[in-house]
Amino acid sequence: ETTLRSSDTHPDGYPTVAAVAEMGRLLEERTGGRLCIEVFHSAQLGEEKDTIEQTQFGVIDMNRVSLGPFNNIIEETQIPSLPYIFRSTAHMHTVMDGPVGQQILDAFTDHDLVGLAFYDGGSRSFYNSERPIRSIEDLAGMKFRVMQSDMFVDMVSALGANATPMPYGEVYSSIQTGVIDGAENNWPSYDSSGHFEVAPYYTLDQHLIVPEVLVMAKSTFDGLSAEDQEIVRQAAKDSVPVMRELWAAREAESEARVRAAGVEIIADIDKTPFIEAMVPVYQKYVTSPVLQQMVADIQATQ
Amino acid sequence: MELYVLFGSFVVLLLIGTPVAFCLGISSFATIVYLDLPPVVVFQRLNSGVSVFALMAIPFFIYAGDLMVRGDIARRLVALASGFVGHLRGGLGQVNVLSSVMFGGVSGSAAADASAVGGLMVPQMKERGYDVDYAVNITVVSSIIALLLPPSHNMIIYSIAAGGRISIADLFTAGIIPGFLLALLLMLTAWWVAKRKDYPVQPFQGFRMIGTLFVSAAPGLILVAIIFGGVRSGIFTASESSNIAVVYALLVTFFVYRSLSWHDFKEATFAAVRTTAMVLLVIGCAASFGWLLAYTKVPASMVALLQNVSDNPIVILLLLNLILLILGTFMDMSPLIVITTPIFLPVATAFGVDPVHFGVILILNLGIGLCTPPVGAVLFVGCAVGRIPVWDAVRTIWPFYGAAFFTLMLVTYIPALSLWLPALFR
Amino acid sequence: MQRTMEKIAVWTGHLARLALWAAGIGLVLMTVLIAAQVVWRYVLNDSIVWTEPASVMIMGWFIFLGAAVGIREGYHLSFDVLLYLLPLRAKLVLFSISDIAVTAFGAGMIWYGWQLAARTAGNMLPSLGISGAFDFAPIVAGGVLIVLFSIERVFRRAAGLPTARFGDDPGPA
Ligand code: NA
Ligand code: NA
Repeated sequence: ETTLRSSDTHPDGYPTVAAVAEMGRLLEERTGGRLCIEVFHSAQLGEEKDTIEQTQFGVIDMNRVSLGPFNNIIEETQIPSLPYIFRSTAHMHTVMDGPVGQQILDAFTDHDLVGLAFYDGGSRSFYNSERPIRSIEDLAGMKFRVMQSDMFVDMVSALGANATPMPYGEVYSSIQTGVIDGAENNWPSYDSSGHFEVAPYYTLDQHLIVPEVLVMAKSTFDGLSAEDQEIVRQAAKDSVPVMRELWAAREAESEARVRAAGVEIIADIDKTPFIEAMVPVYQKYVTSPVLQQMVADIQATQ
Repeated sequence: MELYVLFGSFVVLLLIGTPVAFCLGISSFATIVYLDLPPVVVFQRLNSGVSVFALMAIPFFIYAGDLMVRGDIARRLVALASGFVGHLRGGLGQVNVLSSVMFGGVSGSAAADASAVGGLMVPQMKERGYDVDYAVNITVVSSIIALLLPPSHNMIIYSIAAGGRISIADLFTAGIIPGFLLALLLMLTAWWVAKRKDYPVQPFQGFRMIGTLFVSAAPGLILVAIIFGGVRSGIFTASESSNIAVVYALLVTFFVYRSLSWHDFKEATFAAVRTTAMVLLVIGCAASFGWLLAYTKVPASMVALLQNVSDNPIVILLLLNLILLILGTFMDMSPLIVITTPIFLPVATAFGVDPVHFGVILILNLGIGLCTPPVGAVLFVGCAVGRIPVWDAVRTIWPFYGAAFFTLMLVTYIPALSLWLPALFR
Repeated sequence: MQRTMEKIAVWTGHLARLALWAAGIGLVLMTVLIAAQVVWRYVLNDSIVWTEPASVMIMGWFIFLGAAVGIREGYHLSFDVLLYLLPLRAKLVLFSISDIAVTAFGAGMIWYGWQLAARTAGNMLPSLGISGAFDFAPIVAGGVLIVLFSIERVFRRAAGLPTARFGDDPGPA
């Protein structure tokens, strides 16, 4: 009887934590209790960068992480993090469930990890305290908080706005005091952070729809019988619809709460100028033929 | 079994005199080898435990404190306090407490407060006919105020030990009322003891003099406003405001007071390096220790264990306070914050205690531990300043311990004392 | 033996002084960098992205260098109370055991710090554009000094020379 230790930075009850717990339930059921999963939630074992290394060392068996920390390690993971690469959440699902998704999962193998499944991370859009943003011109000169990443800074610059990397916890008061004009995030975070109280204009440009990934330590995976390996892969895949359902419910709940608070939502914008502005960003980051082919494949996916 | 290895090796190393940081690191090393896991994790945790941007506030606040002590800011604050309350019964005792309030507002360190305020006050008190033990007692216990008032780097250590998810601005704000409450109770105690011993009263210096002293101390007081206002309003992060404190202290002492020589500057820098390296190495090694605690599920077992003892939050809080007070008598503050937070915070929250409230309880409780033998850094500093044996100080310190303990109980059982002010600002 | 150790002490003293100066300069540099970041953000209305990671790296250097100097100067927090009950000889043996354990930990810092550096050498640090191995340079360097200074303590004690301990001199707190 083996307990697989899995790390997550989100708190107990969060969709990703619940999905991995569900995978554990499936494993227990399908192996007659030989395999089960224990989720160490709330970053008990460390932040993502550290727990990724721990998974590579085989100290922890599984890990639910964002793709961001892999961007400098595995080039294929940069692709889903490109701005405006996915047209919608449904498009992202189709791509990640298809051959491009499998190609990215396979890329983990060279780094002592086994990619098991992709989870939803929501779609991020801009919000601000100043004015409704309906066109790219409205963004000119505004200051937005972004995550500490060169590509996101370049994205915001390419849109004609200024990027200010700062810790998440500082954002609320920084918008309030006018240090920045806004930030960007998904529905649940826009709601739970209370940022909608100080930045009541939310433009659904969905510039980032980045999935998250569930990986297993290669040493742990190799230690399983071929039969158990298959059960693990299947249980991970089966946890994905559960996760998507939980995530969608959470998103809808947050959206309803934020709308009720009287926030102005700008939904129907023409995204073409935003996408066209990304040409220099793609030129800078999509460098190898492999990556260029992936981008073409994604754009061709309906 | 792995817990016996972890805690057993920790205690043995502690008893043979190994520095606390290395006790934590080596016992983690031993346990991970025992568990047959790659030891590299211990050193990864050590490295990432100190590579946290928010920690930067600690060296900066310590550095700013060292600069203020050597650059005359502390002395001017004491002089101002003397103008305010020097004429009350037990006057210099009152001045001592009020000085800790003012100096505490610019420095987060109880040891810095005891050496700065104590170094100035104890000789004066001796000269004016106060007993040395009284002077040392009040110096020592009133230093806890510096831990409660912003900026307190121990609050930052707590926030990070709790996973970095507790707002530092809220913690800073939450400590203010408890800090003033402790000051008030200590002043009452000082007055009562002074009356019994019939200590002298000095004349009121007059409002004009207070005005002069106020102007002279103003740069120090402005710093209080910059730090607290900056962090609270969100204009600066805690790390940025600590940096501003350093730059400001340098500017004031170099250019306004012209009181900081190159030698003072060099010594303040080295002193800050020494203190910071000592504190942050403990935090790094505790990151490894904490990882093993989480991996072996100690916090969860602790919650289950205490839930078996009682389901009454009042009893659990009393129990936690007693455990912390006992630990505090023989261990230092920063290692205790980083070791006990991951274990006790889940217990406290399971019983419905707000993490910010628990932080204030923890800091005040461990602050009392700094003043108790056998190991109390602040008590040692106070006795060194007064040149009396620890035993002489402790014999008459009980009324002051009593005031601090009473404050602790009020803070523990009246959450509003800690939570009302942060809610008001939010 | 005593003469040799005293000669060595001159050199390790220089080394400790050098490490302390490096750490002090690091603290000042960190002050300047963060001050610049604040000025850029609020006065020039622009942000510098590399000051934060650079300062965190400098902090790593001065913590581990300062911690190593602390071994030699004896300013780390420790708990000597029960040792007062023991005779001097027993106490000295226990101190040496403690120093050997610290040496082992220092060796771990070098060995595993090196492994971590090797593993991350191929990654680029965001915003700094240098190899990820640099993240672990301070822990390796600090480890080397900790090993040196702890071994020195063991040999000094064997030679009957004093070693500094926490509490010997309250010093600046
Ligand atoms: Na303070
Ligand atoms: Na005092």
